[in-house]
Amino acid sequence: MQQSPQQERSPTEFLSNVIGRPVVVKLNSGVDYRGILSCLDGYMNIALEQTEEWVNGQLKNRYGDAFIRGNNVLYISADKTRKREPLNIQ
Amino acid sequence: MTEETHNAPVEPNAVEEPLDLVRLSLDERIYVKLRGDRELRGKLHAYDGHLNMVLGEVEETITVVEINEETYEEVIRTVKRTSEMLFVRGDGVILVSPPVRTN
Amino acid sequence: MSSATNQTNQLLPLELIDKCIGSKIWVIMKSEKEFTGTLLGFDDYVNMVLEDVTEYENTPEGRKTTHLDQILLNGNNITMLIPGGEGPD
Repeated sequence: MQQSPQQERSPTEFLSNVIGRPVVVKLNSGVDYRGILSCLDGYMNIALEQTEEWVNGQLKNRYGDAFIRGNNVLYISADKTRKREPLNIQ
Repeated sequence: MTEETHNAPVEPNAVEEPLDLVRLSLDERIYVKLRGDRELRGKLHAYDGHLNMVLGEVEETITVVEINEETYEEVIRTVKRTSEMLFVRGDGVILVSPPVRTN
Repeated sequence: MSSATNQTNQLLPLELIDKCIGSKIWVIMKSEKEFTGTLLGFDDYVNMVLEDVTEYENTPEGRKTTHLDQILLNGNNITMLIPGGEGPD
Protein backbone atom coordinates (compact mmCIF):
# COMPACT_ATOMS: atom_id res chain seq x y z
CA MET A 1 0.00 0.00 0.00
CA GLN A 2 1.54 3.27 -1.07
CA GLN A 3 1.07 5.78 1.71
CA SER A 4 1.52 9.49 1.22
CA PRO A 5 1.18 11.13 4.62
CA GLN A 6 1.05 14.69 3.32
CA GLN A 7 -2.06 13.71 1.38
CA GLU A 8 -3.74 12.30 4.49
CA ARG A 9 -6.81 14.26 5.51
CA SER A 10 -9.00 13.79 8.54
CA PRO A 11 -12.72 14.68 8.43
CA THR A 12 -11.96 17.82 10.46
CA GLU A 13 -9.31 18.96 7.99
CA PHE A 14 -11.62 18.27 5.08
CA LEU A 15 -14.32 20.40 6.68
CA SER A 16 -12.08 23.33 7.49
CA ASN A 17 -11.06 23.25 3.84
CA VAL A 18 -14.57 23.30 2.42
CA ILE A 19 -16.14 25.96 4.65
CA GLY A 20 -17.02 28.94 2.50
CA ARG A 21 -16.92 26.82 -0.66
CA PRO A 22 -19.63 25.40 -2.90
CA VAL A 23 -20.58 21.88 -1.83
CA VAL A 24 -23.12 19.21 -2.58
CA VAL A 25 -24.80 17.70 0.45
CA LYS A 26 -26.50 14.42 -0.37
CA LEU A 27 -29.12 13.08 1.99
CA ASN A 28 -29.97 9.44 2.58
CA SER A 29 -33.24 10.05 0.74
CA GLY A 30 -31.26 10.83 -2.44
CA VAL A 31 -32.05 14.56 -2.43
CA ASP A 32 -29.07 16.85 -3.16
CA TYR A 33 -28.55 20.29 -1.69
CA ARG A 34 -26.08 22.53 -3.52
CA GLY A 35 -24.87 25.69 -1.86
CA ILE A 36 -22.11 27.49 -0.04
CA LEU A 37 -21.17 25.75 3.19
CA SER A 38 -21.47 28.31 6.02
CA CYS A 39 -20.72 26.02 8.91
CA LEU A 40 -21.47 22.71 10.56
CA ASP A 41 -21.29 21.05 13.96
CA GLY A 42 -20.43 17.70 15.50
CA TYR A 43 -23.81 16.20 14.57
CA MET A 44 -23.14 17.10 10.93
CA ASN A 45 -25.93 19.65 11.15
CA ILE A 46 -25.19 21.97 8.26
CA ALA A 47 -25.86 25.61 7.40
CA LEU A 48 -25.87 26.37 3.67
CA GLU A 49 -26.23 29.65 1.79
CA GLN A 50 -27.69 30.11 -1.69
CA THR A 51 -29.13 26.64 -1.44
CA GLU A 52 -30.64 24.71 -4.33
CA GLU A 53 -32.66 21.54 -3.78
CA TRP A 54 -32.20 18.93 -6.51
CA VAL A 55 -34.42 15.86 -6.77
CA ASN A 56 -33.75 13.30 -9.52
CA GLY A 57 -31.62 15.82 -11.41
CA GLN A 58 -34.30 18.52 -11.28
CA LEU A 59 -34.09 21.82 -9.43
CA LYS A 60 -37.05 21.81 -7.05
CA ASN A 61 -36.46 24.71 -4.68
CA ARG A 62 -34.15 27.52 -3.65
CA TYR A 63 -33.52 28.72 -0.13
CA GLY A 64 -31.46 31.76 0.91
CA ASP A 65 -30.24 29.97 4.00
CA ALA A 66 -30.88 26.42 4.97
CA PHE A 67 -30.29 24.40 8.09
CA ILE A 68 -29.98 20.67 7.39
CA ARG A 69 -30.32 18.25 10.29
CA GLY A 70 -27.21 16.06 10.41
CA ASN A 71 -28.89 12.68 10.77
CA ASN A 72 -30.16 12.94 7.19
CA VAL A 73 -26.73 13.55 5.67
CA LEU A 74 -25.13 10.83 3.54
CA TYR A 75 -22.13 12.85 2.38
CA ILE A 76 -20.70 16.30 1.79
CA SER A 77 -18.92 16.59 -1.52
CA ALA A 78 -16.46 19.25 -2.66
CA ASP A 79 -15.16 19.84 -6.12
CA LYS A 80 -11.39 19.73 -5.72
CA THR A 81 -10.77 21.50 -9.02
CA ARG A 82 -12.67 24.54 -7.82
CA LYS A 83 -10.59 27.15 -6.10
CA ARG A 84 -11.64 28.43 -2.71
CA GLU A 85 -14.03 31.31 -3.26
CA PRO A 86 -13.65 34.49 -1.22
CA LEU A 87 -15.89 34.50 1.82
CA ASN A 88 -18.83 36.86 1.66
CA ILE A 89 -17.67 40.37 2.30
CA GLN A 90 -20.30 42.69 3.65
CA MET B 1 -22.11 23.81 22.28
CA THR B 2 -23.26 27.11 23.74
CA GLU B 3 -19.76 28.40 24.50
CA GLU B 4 -19.87 31.14 21.89
CA THR B 5 -23.00 32.65 23.33
CA HIS B 6 -21.29 33.07 26.68
CA ASN B 7 -17.86 34.38 25.91
CA ALA B 8 -17.97 35.83 22.43
CA PRO B 9 -20.73 38.33 21.85
CA VAL B 10 -18.78 39.63 18.86
CA GLU B 11 -21.56 39.74 16.36
CA PRO B 12 -24.94 38.51 17.53
CA ASN B 13 -26.11 38.01 13.94
CA ALA B 14 -23.14 35.90 12.89
CA VAL B 15 -23.73 32.28 11.98
CA GLU B 16 -20.94 30.35 13.68
CA GLU B 17 -22.73 27.09 14.07
CA PRO B 18 -25.71 25.73 12.14
CA LEU B 19 -28.15 26.20 15.03
CA ASP B 20 -27.46 29.95 14.91
CA LEU B 21 -29.53 30.01 11.73
CA VAL B 22 -32.45 28.69 13.72
CA ARG B 23 -31.77 31.00 16.65
CA LEU B 24 -31.84 34.01 14.35
CA SER B 25 -35.25 32.88 13.07
CA LEU B 26 -37.01 33.05 16.43
CA ASP B 27 -40.31 34.91 16.11
CA GLU B 28 -40.01 34.77 12.32
CA ARG B 29 -41.96 32.68 9.86
CA ILE B 30 -39.88 29.72 8.77
CA TYR B 31 -40.16 26.82 6.37
CA VAL B 32 -39.61 23.30 7.72
CA LYS B 33 -39.23 20.20 5.59
CA LEU B 34 -40.09 16.99 7.39
CA ARG B 35 -39.79 13.30 6.64
CA GLY B 36 -42.78 11.76 4.92
CA ASP B 37 -43.23 14.59 2.38
CA ARG B 38 -44.53 17.06 4.91
CA GLU B 39 -43.82 20.76 4.96
CA LEU B 40 -44.63 23.39 7.54
CA ARG B 41 -44.71 27.15 7.38
CA GLY B 42 -45.14 28.96 10.64
CA LYS B 43 -43.78 31.32 13.21
CA LEU B 44 -40.96 29.88 15.27
CA HIS B 45 -41.74 30.32 18.95
CA ALA B 46 -39.15 27.98 20.46
CA TYR B 47 -36.66 25.25 19.61
CA ASP B 48 -33.98 23.13 21.25
CA GLY B 49 -30.82 21.31 20.24
CA HIS B 50 -32.77 18.33 18.88
CA LEU B 51 -34.65 20.70 16.60
CA ASN B 52 -37.83 20.09 18.55
CA MET B 53 -39.82 23.19 17.74
CA VAL B 54 -42.96 25.05 18.69
CA LEU B 55 -44.56 26.77 15.72
CA GLY B 56 -47.52 29.11 15.65
CA GLU B 57 -50.04 29.95 12.91
CA VAL B 58 -48.91 26.91 11.00
CA GLU B 59 -49.77 25.80 7.52
CA GLU B 60 -48.95 22.15 6.91
CA THR B 61 -48.66 20.75 3.40
CA ILE B 62 -48.66 17.00 2.86
CA THR B 63 -47.72 15.71 -0.58
CA VAL B 64 -49.10 12.36 -1.68
CA VAL B 65 -48.05 10.68 -4.92
CA GLU B 66 -50.62 8.26 -6.22
CA ILE B 67 -50.26 6.08 -9.28
CA ASN B 68 -53.33 5.73 -11.45
CA GLU B 69 -53.99 1.98 -11.72
CA GLU B 70 -54.93 2.14 -15.40
CA THR B 71 -52.75 4.83 -16.93
CA TYR B 72 -49.82 4.41 -14.51
CA GLU B 73 -49.70 8.19 -14.40
CA GLU B 74 -48.39 9.79 -11.27
CA VAL B 75 -50.99 11.91 -9.59
CA ILE B 76 -49.50 14.36 -7.13
CA ARG B 77 -51.97 15.52 -4.53
CA THR B 78 -51.34 17.99 -1.75
CA VAL B 79 -53.33 18.28 1.41
CA LYS B 80 -53.18 21.46 3.44
CA ARG B 81 -54.27 22.16 6.95
CA THR B 82 -53.68 24.86 9.50
CA SER B 83 -53.14 24.86 13.22
CA GLU B 84 -52.83 27.62 15.73
CA MET B 85 -49.88 26.06 17.48
CA LEU B 86 -47.97 22.81 17.21
CA PHE B 87 -44.96 20.94 18.52
CA VAL B 88 -42.58 19.36 16.01
CA ARG B 89 -40.41 16.48 17.14
CA GLY B 90 -36.84 17.16 16.01
CA ASP B 91 -36.07 13.72 14.65
CA GLY B 92 -38.46 14.21 11.75
CA VAL B 93 -36.82 17.43 10.60
CA ILE B 94 -34.84 17.41 7.35
CA LEU B 95 -34.38 21.13 6.67
CA VAL B 96 -35.19 24.46 8.20
CA SER B 97 -35.11 27.60 6.11
CA PRO B 98 -35.39 30.98 7.75
CA PRO B 99 -36.93 33.97 6.01
CA VAL B 100 -34.56 35.82 3.70
CA ARG B 101 -31.97 37.52 5.84
CA THR B 102 -30.78 41.04 5.21
CA ASN B 103 -27.50 40.98 7.09
CA MET C 1 -11.92 2.39 22.23
CA SER C 2 -12.05 -1.35 22.72
CA SER C 3 -11.87 -2.98 26.13
CA ALA C 4 -9.73 -5.82 24.81
CA THR C 5 -6.08 -4.90 24.93
CA ASN C 6 -4.32 -5.27 21.66
CA GLN C 7 -1.99 -8.18 22.29
CA THR C 8 0.43 -9.75 19.88
CA ASN C 9 -0.82 -9.99 16.33
CA GLN C 10 -4.49 -9.10 16.73
CA LEU C 11 -5.52 -6.32 14.38
CA LEU C 12 -8.22 -4.02 15.71
CA PRO C 13 -10.95 -3.05 13.24
CA LEU C 14 -9.96 0.61 13.14
CA GLU C 15 -6.31 -0.36 12.67
CA LEU C 16 -7.28 -2.20 9.52
CA ILE C 17 -8.97 0.94 8.23
CA ASP C 18 -5.94 3.00 9.21
CA LYS C 19 -3.79 0.72 7.05
CA CYS C 20 -6.04 1.58 4.11
CA ILE C 21 -5.24 5.30 4.22
CA GLY C 22 -3.83 6.30 0.86
CA SER C 23 -5.34 3.24 -0.83
CA LYS C 24 -8.54 2.40 -2.61
CA ILE C 25 -11.40 1.20 -0.46
CA TRP C 26 -14.89 -0.12 -1.14
CA VAL C 27 -17.69 1.03 1.15
CA ILE C 28 -21.05 -0.72 1.34
CA MET C 29 -23.91 1.19 2.94
CA LYS C 30 -26.98 -0.11 4.78
CA SER C 31 -29.10 1.03 1.85
CA GLU C 32 -28.62 0.10 -1.80
CA LYS C 33 -25.56 2.28 -2.12
CA GLU C 34 -21.85 1.65 -2.48
CA PHE C 35 -18.79 3.83 -2.86
CA THR C 36 -15.24 3.25 -4.03
CA GLY C 37 -12.43 5.76 -3.70
CA THR C 38 -9.08 6.56 -2.15
CA LEU C 39 -9.27 6.83 1.63
CA LEU C 40 -7.67 10.05 2.86
CA GLY C 41 -8.71 9.83 6.50
CA PHE C 42 -11.39 8.88 9.01
CA ASP C 43 -12.44 9.51 12.60
CA ASP C 44 -13.76 7.44 15.53
CA TYR C 45 -17.27 7.34 14.03
CA VAL C 46 -15.73 6.05 10.79
CA ASN C 47 -16.79 9.19 8.98
CA MET C 48 -14.42 9.03 6.02
CA VAL C 49 -12.77 11.44 3.61
CA LEU C 50 -12.62 9.81 0.17
CA GLU C 51 -11.10 11.06 -3.05
CA ASP C 52 -11.84 10.20 -6.70
CA VAL C 53 -15.04 8.57 -5.63
CA THR C 54 -17.49 6.48 -7.60
CA GLU C 55 -20.93 6.32 -6.09
CA TYR C 56 -23.01 3.29 -7.08
CA GLU C 57 -26.71 3.30 -6.53
CA ASN C 58 -28.67 0.13 -7.12
CA THR C 59 -32.20 0.85 -8.27
CA PRO C 60 -34.87 -1.38 -9.80
CA GLU C 61 -33.97 0.23 -13.16
CA GLY C 62 -30.31 -0.75 -12.83
CA ARG C 63 -27.16 0.67 -11.38
CA LYS C 64 -26.44 4.38 -11.49
CA THR C 65 -22.88 5.62 -10.99
CA THR C 66 -21.68 9.12 -10.19
CA HIS C 67 -18.14 10.48 -9.97
CA LEU C 68 -17.23 12.79 -7.09
CA ASP C 69 -13.88 14.52 -6.47
CA GLN C 70 -13.79 14.51 -2.72
CA ILE C 71 -16.39 13.67 -0.10
CA LEU C 72 -16.90 13.42 3.62
CA LEU C 73 -18.99 10.29 3.99
CA ASN C 74 -21.16 10.05 7.10
CA GLY C 75 -20.16 6.91 9.01
CA ASN C 76 -23.65 6.40 10.35
CA ASN C 77 -24.97 4.27 7.53
CA ILE C 78 -21.94 2.17 6.64
CA THR C 79 -22.28 -1.61 6.74
CA MET C 80 -18.95 -2.82 5.44
CA LEU C 81 -15.53 -1.67 4.30
CA ILE C 82 -13.44 -3.72 1.91
CA PRO C 83 -9.78 -2.78 1.37
CA GLY C 84 -8.73 -2.77 -2.28
CA GLY C 85 -11.88 -1.19 -3.58
CA GLU C 86 -12.53 -3.05 -6.82
CA GLY C 87 -16.20 -2.13 -6.39
CA PRO C 88 -19.35 -3.97 -7.40
CA ASP C 89 -18.41 -4.43 -11.08
